[in-house]
Amino acid sequence: MKFTVDQNSLTDGVNWVSRSLSTRPIKTELLGIKIDATGDEVILSGSDLETSSKAYFKADILEKGAVLVPGKLLAEISRSLPNKPISITLDGTRVLVTSGSAKFTLPTLSLNEYPNLPELPETTGTVASDTFATAVAQVAIAAGRDDSLPTLTGVHVEINEETITLAATDRYRLAVREFSWNPATPGFSTSALMRARTLADAAKSLVGSKNVSLSFAPTTSNDRLAGFSGDGKTMTSRMLDGTFPPYRHLLPTDSVTTAVVEVAPFLDSVRRVALVTDKTVPLRLEFKDGGVSLEAGAGEEAQATETIDVLLNGEPISIAFNPVFLADGLQAVGTPFVQISFTGSNKPAILTGRTEPNGASIENYRYLLMPMRYAS
Amino acid sequence: MTSVFDHLVGQEHIIEILEGAVAASRTGEESQEMTHAWVFTGPPGSGRSSAAVAFAQALICPNNGCGTCNDCNSAKTHGHPDVEIIRTEGLSIKVEEVRELLTRVAWAPSMGGWRVVVMEDADRLTESAANALLKAIEEPGTRTVWLLCAPTLHDVLPTIRSRCRHLQLRTPSLEAVTNVLINRDHIAPGMADFAARVSQGHIGRAKYLAINESVRSSRKTIMQLPLQLGSLAAAFQAAQTLVDLATAEANAVSDERDEKEVEKLQEAYGKGATGRGMATGGAKAVKELEKEQKSRSTRMVRDSIDGALLDIATFYRDAMMVQSGNIDSMINTDMREQIESYAASSPSHSTINKINAIMEARENLARNSAPLVTCEALMCQLARK
Repeated sequence: MKFTVDQNSLTDGVNWVSRSLSTRPIKTELLGIKIDATGDEVILSGSDLETSSKAYFKADILEKGAVLVPGKLLAEISRSLPNKPISITLDGTRVLVTSGSAKFTLPTLSLNEYPNLPELPETTGTVASDTFATAVAQVAIAAGRDDSLPTLTGVHVEINEETITLAATDRYRLAVREFSWNPATPGFSTSALMRARTLADAAKSLVGSKNVSLSFAPTTSNDRLAGFSGDGKTMTSRMLDGTFPPYRHLLPTDSVTTAVVEVAPFLDSVRRVALVTDKTVPLRLEFKDGGVSLEAGAGEEAQATETIDVLLNGEPISIAFNPVFLADGLQAVGTPFVQISFTGSNKPAILTGRTEPNGASIENYRYLLMPMRYAS
Repeated sequence: MTSVFDHLVGQEHIIEILEGAVAASRTGEESQEMTHAWVFTGPPGSGRSSAAVAFAQALICPNNGCGTCNDCNSAKTHGHPDVEIIRTEGLSIKVEEVRELLTRVAWAPSMGGWRVVVMEDADRLTESAANALLKAIEEPGTRTVWLLCAPTLHDVLPTIRSRCRHLQLRTPSLEAVTNVLINRDHIAPGMADFAARVSQGHIGRAKYLAINESVRSSRKTIMQLPLQLGSLAAAFQAAQTLVDLATAEANAVSDERDEKEVEKLQEAYGKGATGRGMATGGAKAVKELEKEQKSRSTRMVRDSIDGALLDIATFYRDAMMVQSGNIDSMINTDMREQIESYAASSPSHSTINKINAIMEARENLARNSAPLVTCEALMCQLARK
């Protein structure tokens, strides 16, 4: 095997497949990146059995062949190389990597033990990569991180013809985002549960391509595999087992009070006031006509208070939230203003975005936040 | 038609239950016969893990466990995407390992069947590991099946065992083990009979003994120890011999393997690359592996001493049989004369005390006592008249 390629293509490809390498794999072969130059282009692949990634790039292939090399080392080397053409040559059981005056030799691993990676399922539609990445990030933030409750570490993906609805919850908050896409076949609908960090990572890494192709097998299929692909990059991931809790009825439809606040000063203020407490101690908020006052800490402990402007519609209300979850939500709405709708001090509140303080709220993203109890 | 259950020896009573469960699992309906968590218990060597693996194969095989298809084969060799076999050779299964396992167990089955997890040493779960596991068994995935193996039900956390169906394996009979050795492993009948008898129903041990000349010879040396306890000095000497032999037996297997594993891991991180050493994290991974190997070798030495103590116990058991006038069911028939002369020279209550002392030493070893000191103390007790 022998080929030359420019530094960008190689580094980009290696970085993409490195994402699928696990740090503690079941087999040592899974620490490797496979370089396949048997066809017209070079294919890199990496896998941890849950996700498998492939990167395709054009190269000047002088001699065909395939080889498995230590993945992490290849990634570290390719990143450090100068921006010059790189030549990769298999010499006996070693791989020579040369670029200008820099020369590396890498040992090779046994390709026989390397598993057959799953094929990318048929594309079910496409979506603009930035829309997809934003939507996934907005939802993934609410996913649980406790692996002993695997269902909640997932993002629920529901496809209903031209709309995709993503949802995630860790039982204390729930994020729901809707966006439209271009299905390959009309009338297609399905649902799937994908691990949030895998999905978020894939979506973020694919923004380099204009569009992302999604492949979700219908729920009746035996193949519980999803695929994502952009320019020269593909990834397959196994779906999670389990039933995502029904969540639509949790989203209140009416409210007694709505408050509109400018996000940036509110977020700063929440973070400042929360400094005096633990992450899990409630941050008390009092919404009044004159403004919203934030308060944390009580009694002999350190305390902090602050008041900022608010546009209130309805009854004044006192409520307490987990400061971290509130900050997450404020960041995730992604607009200059946030509308918070309340149905009571011990009922969940809903955060939605607003571009103008008096404009309509943007309903395609809703972040539901459970209040905390506190002793007043 | 062949079946994966054919390899289970003397366990007809559970095969029926397992086959019923497999049949019920195919209907797609909820039923009494199929459930999401099982515990297989039985004495060492009775085939707990073989039974669990066979059940796993039957669940994912399109032909209910033919043992010959691709699915059956890959399930057994850790190659099947839907079957996880957790087998520790170390001292314990730690909570980190269980957490890592749980992230994999959350995957939906790739072939649309079941996701099966076989945990061969559920008795070796640390307390926090068992609690992490409990959460998963309490709220099982719709298509996940847990198969835990342990020597007795008491080795499993009560909160876990109350959520599992229990299957008790029997110690296979002498004839059954002998037949397996002859028919499956093609061992000569005389040798098969000897191996089956001295390993008391432990099929794996019987086979190991039958095919390894060196193991048989060190067993022979160990079986002579009770006859050499003439003085206190001799007792200490005997303890040293026992520990040395057991350690040698354990290390013979592990040393070479340890080295190969480290080499392979270092290679995967790129050791030997020029222009750049191993990738970041490589040294740490190797260190972790070495730690694991150390725990494994402690366990192997311990297991090997335990085996030797069990062998010695058979000597006193036979002596007791002779003392109580029952000479037909002797295990060590090749030592008949020596055992008979020992039995004649020693009172039967001391024989019982000695057996008890051996069992106590085994318990202490399992509680992490120093092997040599434990064996010395034991030999001193055995040296008493």
